[in-house]
Amino acid sequence: MKYNPTYALILFFIISGVLYVLFRPAKGWFWIIKNNFKSNEKIVTEDILKQLYHFENSGNKVDTKTLLQVLDFNNNQIIEVVKKMTINDLIYFESDVLKLTNAGRDYALRIVRIHRLWERYLADKTGFSKEEWHDRAEMMEHKLNHDETNTLAAHLGNPKFDPHGDPIPTKTGKVAEVHGVELPLLPVNSIGRITHIEDEPEIIYKQILAENIHMGSLIRVVENNATRIVFLSEGEEFRLAPIVAANLTVAPIEKEIIIEDNIARLSSLKEDETAIITGISKESRGESRRRLLDLGFVKGATIKIDLINPLGEPNAYLIKGTSIALRKDQAAKILIKKD
Amino acid sequence: MDTKVKSACETCAHFNADGLKKMGIHTDNVDFVVALAGNPNTGKSTVFNSLTGLRQHTGNWPGKTVTRAEGGFEYNKQKYKLVDLPGTYSLLSTSEDEAAARDFILFGKPDVTVIVADANRLERNLNLVLQILEITDKAVLCLNLMDEAKRNHIIIDERTLARDLGIPVVATSARFSQGIPELIHTISEIANGNIICKPHRIKNVPSNIENAVKTLTAEIEKEFPNIPNSRWIAFRLLEGDTEIIKALKSGELV
Amino acid sequence: MANKNIDHILELSNELRWQIGDEFHDNLTEGIYADAAQIVSDTVQVDESKKRFRLDRQIDKIVTSKVFGFPIMFLILATVLWLTIIGANYPSSLLAQLLLDTFHPILKTGVAAINMPWWLSGFLIDGVYLAVAWVIAVMLPPMAIFFPMFTLLEDFGYLPRVAFNLDNLFKKSGAHGKQALTMTMGFGCNAAGVVATRIIDSPRERLIAIITNNFSLCNGRWPTQILIATIFIGAVVPSTFSSLASLLAVIVIAVLGMAFMFGTSWALSKTLLKGQVSTFNLELPPYRPPRFWKTIYTSLIDRTMIVLWRAIVFAAPAGAVIWLISNIYIGNESIAAWAIDSMNGFGFLLGLNGVILLAYIVAIPANEIVIPTILMLTVLVTGIDGGAGAGVMFELDSVNATGDILKAGGWTLLTAINLMLFSLLHNPCSTTIYTIYKETKSVKWTVFASIMPVILGFIVTFLVAQIWRIVF
Ligand SMILES: Nc1nc2c(ncn2[C@@H]2O[C@H](COP(=O)(O)OP(=O)(O)OP(=O)(O)O)[C@@H](O)[C@H]2O)c(=O)[nH]1
Ligand SMILES: [Mg+2]
Repeated sequence: MKYNPTYALILFFIISGVLYVLFRPAKGWFWIIKNNFKSNEKIVTEDILKQLYHFENSGNKVDTKTLLQVLDFNNNQIIEVVKKMTINDLIYFESDVLKLTNAGRDYALRIVRIHRLWERYLADKTGFSKEEWHDRAEMMEHKLNHDETNTLAAHLGNPKFDPHGDPIPTKTGKVAEVHGVELPLLPVNSIGRITHIEDEPEIIYKQILAENIHMGSLIRVVENNATRIVFLSEGEEFRLAPIVAANLTVAPIEKEIIIEDNIARLSSLKEDETAIITGISKESRGESRRRLLDLGFVKGATIKIDLINPLGEPNAYLIKGTSIALRKDQAAKILIKKD
Repeated sequence: MDTKVKSACETCAHFNADGLKKMGIHTDNVDFVVALAGNPNTGKSTVFNSLTGLRQHTGNWPGKTVTRAEGGFEYNKQKYKLVDLPGTYSLLSTSEDEAAARDFILFGKPDVTVIVADANRLERNLNLVLQILEITDKAVLCLNLMDEAKRNHIIIDERTLARDLGIPVVATSARFSQGIPELIHTISEIANGNIICKPHRIKNVPSNIENAVKTLTAEIEKEFPNIPNSRWIAFRLLEGDTEIIKALKSGELV
Repeated sequence: MANKNIDHILELSNELRWQIGDEFHDNLTEGIYADAAQIVSDTVQVDESKKRFRLDRQIDKIVTSKVFGFPIMFLILATVLWLTIIGANYPSSLLAQLLLDTFHPILKTGVAAINMPWWLSGFLIDGVYLAVAWVIAVMLPPMAIFFPMFTLLEDFGYLPRVAFNLDNLFKKSGAHGKQALTMTMGFGCNAAGVVATRIIDSPRERLIAIITNNFSLCNGRWPTQILIATIFIGAVVPSTFSSLASLLAVIVIAVLGMAFMFGTSWALSKTLLKGQVSTFNLELPPYRPPRFWKTIYTSLIDRTMIVLWRAIVFAAPAGAVIWLISNIYIGNESIAAWAIDSMNGFGFLLGLNGVILLAYIVAIPANEIVIPTILMLTVLVTGIDGGAGAGVMFELDSVNATGDILKAGGWTLLTAINLMLFSLLHNPCSTTIYTIYKETKSVKWTVFASIMPVILGFIVTFLVAQIWRIVF
């Protein structure tokens, strides 16, 4: 064929098109086919164990039919695997109901441990958003072996709770207790700290996340009735329907703690205003929180805007004699009291 | 320009100008190792250059030095190896970029640590100074950028500062080589044990943490009777620092 | 020393950690700052009555303002480049005259006098010596001007302001604002830029910064851009505007490099290096008047040393290779001619030619020698008489002579434009590749960072070539 630039261009676009269809992120055919091969027996086994463990904890009974509903694997494969698991003594049937053997429970605990550790890791050490933690941990829980898990735990300082406040089983399978009561049970004016945010069902969890409610925040209940629950936290007022609020566990605090009412966020500071820092939101975790503290964003420090950015953000703030630039999302995590 | 004005000490009895020799990159058979630590952009590399005669890159932005550099000088027939470290805001974080400095201060066991601080921003610099003083008791504070402080009408009472911190304080303007002789002299005094420091220990710690630290410190000292900075190690263990755990296990810290 | 059993200590520390709760770090830092505040209140006095006019702040207000911020950045870049282009001319031709016109013949006569075999003298003098001399003559002057100016800006404290202004763009492409600093370091040398990425504390964003640093035109490539722009772009406009046109062309390439840097960062953070943008904080130091002469002196000395060193370490063997491949024959064709022939087709598709592609392969060790290699190989294939024999880099009497030779080699405006593009978009030099490996400790990312720009270069030059041919 003789060279012709138009043909060359057309050929180029055809090839790029094909490559795009095959390899585009997530939806490329190549990845889809690859993923289909991946749902192997180990993953199915471990997912079954985990489901049974959760059902057992919430006191529900499971038969094969429920299992088929909650897991999205090929039904035949699940039945196949369940058979194998009974042979391997991981589970047994009590009439119709599936039960975990001791070995099965240990195995399940190990999976739960990895899952929650990994969520902790994602929360503290990476920048993945909260919405992504769960799905990534789902993938990871099948990958880490025993030693890797323990190294990870040590690296994270052997945490007791995952970022939702769920206890992380220890190496030996011990599970700590979550303190606190469901939010709707707290009377008006009581003060408490959020110790757990239930991440299922997902719709409610997403709603809580969207509200910007964080683990570890102090709250004060200002209204509590059958239609809504209103509370203050980190300078904002939240209104939740009781069913949503029931997914929050709060540990009441007896001590006298004053929760300031007129707290704002650094991102709302205007030029020429000064403010005092009252703390950093619990939303800021891990390394980035430490860095903010190291840079002098500590309780009691005076702060004001030094420079406005030509593109809107980051702005530079004058703190302890130095101008430090912070992006908006980070400034939104610093709590201040304006003068 | 007034940069050539002799600083007080160069003519005073203590500093022996003839005893100083810049050795550049030659650092064999040294008697003492001296570390240069401090917040970013406080002039560590500038101090390093004026002590060793080298041309380590300096630049007016935090983070110019990212790898450690070594050089040497000789004073009164003793050889010193000087290590220029990347700037750090804190030794408490676990961030990668500060690891080089953190590890050297803790595991490199320098004979003297020169903490370079910006006189214009003493408060934020003290954050790091106070942390270093938990680790080592052979340190000198080099209060740099004094020329700028003067222009900003900042007056620092060096004697009170030295008393509060429990270590010698030397005011310098490294860029104009002011105060460098005093710094050298002080380094040699500390290295030879002629100045004994009594470093400040962090005081404003909430009682629940202080109690935990005390309990843990006692336990650590039982196991390692000769450890010099058990309180710091307790702080780090409470934070769950895996590096420290590893180092404790291998006995690297004693 | 034997491993100590410290399990009980760890156990205890774990237990105590749980009792204290997650406020430990907050409390400790607040405690330290409280100590610091006490000490400061004892010892520091600020004379508020003499509050002076803060010059820093006034400068900052201007260089980060909505109206002037970006134009000033652009203007500074343009000025630096313009001074480099104008200023390098004279010393360049002086050095060329000295090293190539004067010394080379002397050396030639010298070795002839001691009866050195022709292949050895050809290898040493026409290969090694000429390559080194070329690099010194063409590369050193622009570098000696560019670097001190750059260092002056750095000492003044302008770079953090660039990072401040640009951060929002970096954030949108999923990268870290301090990448602006490593990018500007890359304008000097990509290897240095890669090392500088250590200031970026999140691993994901650091990797992005490492991979995309190559899109900062480094010092080894500025002179190529300047030379080609002067010969070809400057020639299409009336001569009064020619230096302006070539300056603009170089700026366009540099800005295009930044665009590719943003684009690639964005694509990476959406695909291979997925993850959320992490936090960013940047301390803006006070402005400091640079020590003008000292800066000029040290950066000149330092750069001269480094460039000379690199010239000897890399350009010399490359020069030797060039001489060898054009003097070793397989059948009745030299290796070079054979390689050029076989790559000509592909080169044509990209709007380049076999000579350029071969030059880029030979010049992997150091970008500095691309142009001399191209000239030499062009002479080889066209058979025009520019130098003293096969594989001998000839003298660059003037920019025009170079242009004549290239045009005789079949070069057009398209070849020039695509060479400039390809010089921007190709694999990093070997030093940078090695540095990337040292910094990432990953073969995978090193390979990726080396190959990705070339592929991008192929695609871009290909597209430009086809469209050019359809349009014109
Ligand atoms: N006016 C004045 N400027 C100084 C002095 N010492 C250092 N500088 C300037 O301060 C800037 C920072 O100096 P460096 O020596 O690079 O600082 P560093 O502490 O090594 O910085 P990092 O390597 O980034 O941690 C440079 O522009 C120096 O020229 C001083 O005593 N007075
Ligand atoms: Mg430095």
